[in-house]
Amino acid sequence: MSTIILRTVTRLAVPIVFVTSFALFLQGHNLPGGGFIAGVLTATGLALVYIAYGLDFLEETVFQRSIGGSVEHIQHGLVSDYRRLFAVGLAIATGSGLVFVALGMPFMSYGYTYASFPLYDHMELASAVVFDFGVYCVVVGSLLTILSVVGEE
Amino acid sequence: MQPTPDLPVVLALLALPFVAAALTPLVHRALGERTAYFAAAVALACFGLAASQYGTEGVVSVAWIPALDVSLSLYVDGLSLLVAFLASGVGVLVFTYSAGYMHGEPGLAKYYATLLAFMGSMLGVALAADLVALFVFWELTSIASFVLIGHYSSQDSALYAARKSMFVTVGGGLFMLVGFVLLANATGTFSIATMLDRPELVREALRSQGVLLPVVVLVGVGAAAKSAQVPLHIWLPDAMEAPTPVSAFLHSATMVKAGVYLVGRLRPVLVTDEWTLLFAALGLTTMTVAAVLAIAATDIKQLLAYSTASHLGLIVAGFGFASVLGAETGAFHILNHAMFKAPLFLVAGIVAHEAGTRTISELGGLRRDLPITAAVTVVAALGMAGVPPFNGFYSKEFLFETTYEFAAHAGGLAWVVPAVAVLGSVFTFLYSVRFLMLFFGEKPSGLGHVHRPPLTMLAPPVLLAAVAGTIGLNGLLASFHAGFAPITEFVARVVNSTTAAGHGGHEFSYYVPTYVSPALVMSAATIALGLAAYPAYGRIHDALHALFRTVPPIQADWWYDAAVGGLDGVSRGTARVVQTGQLRTYAAWTLTATAGLALAGYAAVGASLPPLSYSLSIPLLLVLVTAVVAAAAVTVAPSHTTGVLTLSILGFMLAIFYILASAPDLALTQLVVETLVLVIFLLVLDRLPSYYGETRRSRKVRDAGLSVLVGATVTVTVLLATAGGDPSASLNPVSGIDTSHLVELAVEEGGGTNVVNVILVDLRAFDTLGEIGVVAIAALSVVTLIAMRERGGEAE
Repeated sequence: MSTIILRTVTRLAVPIVFVTSFALFLQGHNLPGGGFIAGVLTATGLALVYIAYGLDFLEETVFQRSIGGSVEHIQHGLVSDYRRLFAVGLAIATGSGLVFVALGMPFMSYGYTYASFPLYDHMELASAVVFDFGVYCVVVGSLLTILSVVGEE
Repeated sequence: MQPTPDLPVVLALLALPFVAAALTPLVHRALGERTAYFAAAVALACFGLAASQYGTEGVVSVAWIPALDVSLSLYVDGLSLLVAFLASGVGVLVFTYSAGYMHGEPGLAKYYATLLAFMGSMLGVALAADLVALFVFWELTSIASFVLIGHYSSQDSALYAARKSMFVTVGGGLFMLVGFVLLANATGTFSIATMLDRPELVREALRSQGVLLPVVVLVGVGAAAKSAQVPLHIWLPDAMEAPTPVSAFLHSATMVKAGVYLVGRLRPVLVTDEWTLLFAALGLTTMTVAAVLAIAATDIKQLLAYSTASHLGLIVAGFGFASVLGAETGAFHILNHAMFKAPLFLVAGIVAHEAGTRTISELGGLRRDLPITAAVTVVAALGMAGVPPFNGFYSKEFLFETTYEFAAHAGGLAWVVPAVAVLGSVFTFLYSVRFLMLFFGEKPSGLGHVHRPPLTMLAPPVLLAAVAGTIGLNGLLASFHAGFAPITEFVARVVNSTTAAGHGGHEFSYYVPTYVSPALVMSAATIALGLAAYPAYGRIHDALHALFRTVPPIQADWWYDAAVGGLDGVSRGTARVVQTGQLRTYAAWTLTATAGLALAGYAAVGASLPPLSYSLSIPLLLVLVTAVVAAAAVTVAPSHTTGVLTLSILGFMLAIFYILASAPDLALTQLVVETLVLVIFLLVLDRLPSYYGETRRSRKVRDAGLSVLVGATVTVTVLLATAGGDPSASLNPVSGIDTSHLVELAVEEGGGTNVVNVILVDLRAFDTLGEIGVVAIAALSVVTLIAMRERGGEAE
């Protein structure tokens, strides 16, 4: 199903998808969006790449790595990166809660503050963003793991 | 006032066997087969610790979880010390015996570790001061027994026996647990010691709540399963698949005593008319039926197994009667039975080990080759037969006296009770003599030279028989006022802890009667009838076999096998229907069950549907109609691709519905998820098998019905969940969560204006953490499943 049209559209669309998902992630606290939605969107963008170019394309052309056999693709390469990604995501999410325990507050407390930056005046810094980033990593990592493993089948 | 037990000593007594069991693998590596002596030393240490507490009585406890008022408390009195002595004392001898018997066998580390753990569990049963701890240790003994019966795990018969014993004893234990919970619920305490302090209050509470009979019956079922009472005796003969030392230890001296221990322990608390009716009838029936079955046995260990059940019946019957004599019967016979049955099992082990066969008809005249063993058997078997002046005689005299007094008091039909007691004893006499005759008479020609057993196998039964002989001799001496006090004092303590009178110093004595009493007449009748019937032993044996062959249902085993076989059939049938290996079958069953349970739940709480009053705007209506049309189109789609595409029309319509319903977050999620699902579907579509055009009409009808059911469930759930749409009612009717403050909280505390997101990552972040955990686990499972499948494929 990989046609020239699909490939061309993919080349144009995927960067936009990534930017959109990043924007959705950042604005999640005050506007529709958030880690989960952004994660699914990122995964969708990459899935589009898979359909248009195949699983090996990312590995070989983008990351310039050699590909292993059928079992190895679970152990090495991109899939293991995805697995690492959702492990890291879980760690970030849990860690963001544990930081509060270290500070003597209950697990999963939350707080926010406003700070001024040179270019971006009066920016809100919420602790939840860290947790949300963990959610984002888990979603992206998990979905892409499933997608690439099943897709390879 | 009795001195109270020493807490560190009692704790050490309980902990020592378990610690030793944990160390056994290491010890076995260092000592090899001499691990037996290590285990014997541990048992001896336990015996010493228990002996140091002799004469004390009361509760000791150590705070465990003080905040929850949970403590580990142990109870010491005559009865618990008796069982502790049996467990550790017989333990020493059984471990020593094992050194000879298990020589050269594999799996010794497991064997000794399990036996030690069993000994600890049995001490726990004896010392537990509350019902929960008692139950835990009780089930631990069942598990240890399971492992030991299945010791020869390559034999199917051993596995069958292990399963059977586990099934019966653990199942019975669960009945007992329910009884315990009822008992604790009525009295407000799990503590046995508290109940023993105020038995009349406990009985009153149980009666006023009407649970006295259920408690007695449920506890009775547990005790009957453990102590092999009819009809739950069926596991005990099969348990003889275990190595003989195990049979001697678990299935004669200790574990089966847990049941009678429980009866004796709760006797002061629960003894009432219902109690007498249940346990006296149960005990006497078991005593007689099991004695008859023992005559039908063809294998010496099987004979002893049925005999054990029979004697446990005698103990239960004794405890069943409310009189002090009844308590004396039970308490004394626990001791006597262990002292004659354990050596008999050890003798059976010697015979099987040295002669190479356990079949009764192939054995005889062993006394020339095994003179010491023969002497042991004479003392033990005559004790079992109840011949004066051997030890079993006295406790049986107590039973006769109890039943006679009961009948004389109640009159009429109650005279059946002493008659049954005599009848059971006649059969007991018969098989005891038959066992004894293995050593006398002519040696069958097929039997070669029988070797003498090693010393480690000979000393334990000799020692046990010596104790049994001493108990018997003491009774004879007591007739001439020359008996020694320690034995009677010890039994008196045990009797005291099983009588409702409680802790008063009841006098206990036993002797060979020097005058004619009703009980003596009954004993004489028993022996006379037994001697008269013995020449017909072979014919009775054959007749019983013929009876079992022609009418199998009179055997409890037949019912067990039929029930278990039936269950097997049902589960195989269920598996055939439910687990077809097709996803659609699983989906059908899962969805039906979920919908059914949800609807049943709503019906159970009496939820009523709120009145329907919805007004839909034109755009919303249009979107929903499109969704419904798309849903209908899915069902008639000619191919997978069309199906998936029409399905995603439905999904996107839902997203638009969310937008129109002012839920942009949901709409975004729905959009991206829908897109991703569509992409994944298109990826895997080529591989799906085509089911189109093959479905049967019946399956279509089933699927249609199922989809209507699921749809109805979801609709009802949504209607109920949104019924609290009234702004003043802030409690969500389904989740029960107060939602009114969330909006304020989100802005004030989370600092975000997107309430949905703030709830997800701030206010209920812990939930979200769990959810992303699930997502991660799902991904891991996919990786694992696929990797494992390929690994399996390589292995083939």
